[in-house]
Amino acid sequence: MLAALAGDARSYHEMLNEAVPLLRVYFRRRLGPAGEDIEDLVQETLIAIHTRRETYDGIRPFTAWMFALARYKLIDLLRRGRAEVSFDGLEEILSGCDFESAAMARMDVDALLASLPAKQARAIRDTKLKGLSVAEAAAHEGLSVADVKVSVHRGLKQLALRLKGK
Amino acid sequence: MTMQTQHLIDSLAEGLTPVSLRAVERRIGTALALGMATSLVLVATTLGIRHDLMDALQGPVFWMKAFYVASLAALAGFASVRMARPDTAPPSWLWLVLIPVSVIAVLAGLQMGSAPPDAWPALWLGKSWKVCPFLVLGLSIPIFIALMRTLRKLAPTRLRATGALAGVTAGAAAALVYCLHCPESTAGFLLVWYSGGISLAGLIGAALGPRLLRW
Repeated sequence: MLAALAGDARSYHEMLNEAVPLLRVYFRRRLGPAGEDIEDLVQETLIAIHTRRETYDGIRPFTAWMFALARYKLIDLLRRGRAEVSFDGLEEILSGCDFESAAMARMDVDALLASLPAKQARAIRDTKLKGLSVAEAAAHEGLSVADVKVSVHRGLKQLALRLKGK
Repeated sequence: MTMQTQHLIDSLAEGLTPVSLRAVERRIGTALALGMATSLVLVATTLGIRHDLMDALQGPVFWMKAFYVASLAALAGFASVRMARPDTAPPSWLWLVLIPVSVIAVLAGLQMGSAPPDAWPALWLGKSWKVCPFLVLGLSIPIFIALMRTLRKLAPTRLRATGALAGVTAGAAAALVYCLHCPESTAGFLLVWYSGGISLAGLIGAALGPRLLRW
């Protein structure tokens, strides 16, 4: 998205294409698989991403921004009374589902790790994502155990700061 | 993927122009400046700039008033910038507005303490209490319109809160312009009537936000 904001049409095109399935699932989870408004909402959200792209601040996760636009479009639709949903499920409709966090995690972890020094990123990927033990990761990377531990610690601290928007 | 959606993506990507990451701040800043310039013209042509402005600039009272309303305008303005982005809540640092308000409240108390009781009504009411909040509100209109038009093109999702903050920003910025006209000089007057006009603008903003800011 940062490349897109700078005017790179190709990465923008790619990013919108990746966004479509995420948005479709997002709306389908909330309106049911047969919701006829889903494709309209997806398109409206794409247009909102485009016309309001200035409001992405480049610091916080892109997906959080995108789903906030999607949520607004969904509420707007419900308010106009075009889609029918029962009040019982309303809470669930508006609050997030696991899907979102999973999608956000998948897209953003890569972006976040890319912002770290390569050594820290590899250490975190090995120990926290692939599930290797510190000793295995150290052997794998040819580093000392202490080195891996320090890299993980520093990397996570850095990530925590970034997520807080600092 | 449906053909239609694919077409949409193609056409959106085709006309892509670069945008700045600081565009939100710049747009809101521009709207605020344009609105305040309009209010300034209104004050100069209708109410008139106070004749003793040059003397007033030398003394502390003018600056007490100006700093008070400018600090409110700055806090509400930065909060409005935040609300223009879709994934944000009203900022937690908004409690900072209590600082300028309490400083002025303390000053008002001190002025009361050093004045005889029969002068107290004058401390709170001045000469213009009946019109001050409404003049501030009136001057806030051009600023409010400029801010709301700008915010609408951004992506606020909490429309009532955004409208309220835009209203307070417009009210406080209008009060800053109004300082150039208003000859009142007590902290009590500032605390009640200026803040009153600013709050009124905030309430109207909250009432109109959901309707005017929808996108």
